[in-house]
Amino acid sequence: MLSEIWFLLRKDITLELRQKYAISGILLYVLSTVFVVYLVFVQLNPRVWNAMFWIIILFASVNAVTKSFMQESGYRALYYYSIANPIAVIISKIIYNTLLLSFLTLLTFGFLSLITENPVKDMQLFIVTMLLGSVGLAITLTFISSIAVKANNSATLMAILSFPVVIPILITLIKLSAVSLRLIRDTSYGQDIVSLLAIDLILISVAFILFPFVWKD
Amino acid sequence: MIQKHWWKGLAVLILLYVFIVGMRTPLAQGITSSSPTILNSGSIVELSVEGYNTYFTQGENNAFLKIDSSHAICATDIKVLNDNQLKLTFALPTTLPTADANMPATLVVNNTVKGFAIYPDAASIKATPVEDSTSNANWESCDNPLITENSEYDFPFRNVLMETIRNTYFHVPLWFSMIFIFLASMINSIKYLRNDFDIQYDIKSKALIEIGVLYGILGTITGGIWAQFTWGAFWSFDIKQNMTAITLLIYLAYFVLRSSFDDEQQKARLAAIYNIFAFASIIPLLFVIPRMYDSLHPGNGGNPAFGGEDLDNTMRTVFYPAIIGFTLLGFWIGNVLTRVNKIRQELIDRM
Repeated sequence: MLSEIWFLLRKDITLELRQKYAISGILLYVLSTVFVVYLVFVQLNPRVWNAMFWIIILFASVNAVTKSFMQESGYRALYYYSIANPIAVIISKIIYNTLLLSFLTLLTFGFLSLITENPVKDMQLFIVTMLLGSVGLAITLTFISSIAVKANNSATLMAILSFPVVIPILITLIKLSAVSLRLIRDTSYGQDIVSLLAIDLILISVAFILFPFVWKD
Repeated sequence: MIQKHWWKGLAVLILLYVFIVGMRTPLAQGITSSSPTILNSGSIVELSVEGYNTYFTQGENNAFLKIDSSHAICATDIKVLNDNQLKLTFALPTTLPTADANMPATLVVNNTVKGFAIYPDAASIKATPVEDSTSNANWESCDNPLITENSEYDFPFRNVLMETIRNTYFHVPLWFSMIFIFLASMINSIKYLRNDFDIQYDIKSKALIEIGVLYGILGTITGGIWAQFTWGAFWSFDIKQNMTAITLLIYLAYFVLRSSFDDEQQKARLAAIYNIFAFASIIPLLFVIPRMYDSLHPGNGGNPAFGGEDLDNTMRTVFYPAIIGFTLLGFWIGNVLTRVNKIRQELIDRM
């Protein structure tokens, strides 16, 4: 099973590096949104920086994960996945999307702090927040996009389905990043991190159990 | 027939009981205002006190101002103006028992026929702070004042809530029932996936989600009306209100999902999967996140309002049946809705 996961993951990454379909889309999206934000605000105070950062991450993530499922076109996908274990498929997709989203968040952070000032005071906590955020968003969005991709108007459906479910993760992430920007002072953020991990655990176990049913189509 | 449908009659009876008892039971004694609110120590003050549901003209009254559990002074004179108004005279000692410059004091008025009423933070007593607090003797002169326990059946009086406390029987049970109904819907979705995709379970889970969303909307409306009267606005930025709005969004997205597919089996399967996923994701939303934040809702920012101290015993006699009543009613409506949808399905199949 582990070798299956590793194989599927490598296949996804190789395809991606060859075609650069999703990465270029993400790059374009992030660069243009950050640039527009810069043009509007020029100087960002930390509170606005926090809001803009997470808005860009949210929309770019939804875009990125939708793209990654859409390129599984019919017959080739059917061949691959009739021989692979559905749990291996979902794990490899989640890991792939986590890598993609971590790349995305780091890119957004780098670019945003290059163009505007970097207001992060607690870099350690912020990096942990970004990585946990990538994992959480990847799990949720991967699962929802696997359901939504089967419908006809999948892009809108993807947005409608994913936004409410993503909100508890997003609230905790915003709170943690507000702590690391010293917008609020909260010494017990360990509890927030644990609750983020707990939410991730619940979602990933539900995704494991449910994905084989989605896959039977 | 009684054996199959007894719970429906029970639901109706319980809800009738909840409505009648919930609305007709009077509130306990309460004090709505007391003035003046800033008192200087060492003076003789006269407080004008107004009560709600009080019967001061019956029986004997006594009153005392309390600083903490061992310091209180009794009223030296009590004038009863009418059933709802009193004038109390207090002789405040020259010093406070602590070194603070002012202390909040609680007013307690007791009536031998109807019981006692507490008005927390009725006044603020100012004094010049002293190092030496041995002059406490004056604050301990009111030893063991008379408190009459009232054994009538009435609801507690809380200053901001007053009569709206009755909403506890409608607003909170609606949310509890919503969660039970969503749980039942999720169980039906699981059964659908496990029992070889039998469409009956899918019809049932869809009907239950419709009822759950209806209860959620009613709960939001009752909560908003309550908030309008007690917190000042229909929608304060309260974390629990926001979380319930998101829960409703998640379940409304369920209906959007269903309408995006044409094929029956595919629709049912993906809807069942989303239902289970949605229930798993609202568990942190409704139970974990509100505990982490301060909130206007009672019982948040710390512990949930389930402890022994949080609900008066007289209220519990109506509260728990209300939860059961609303849940049973929800299942009954869901049952009828399922049967209607099944018949509709049969008619479509026959054509």
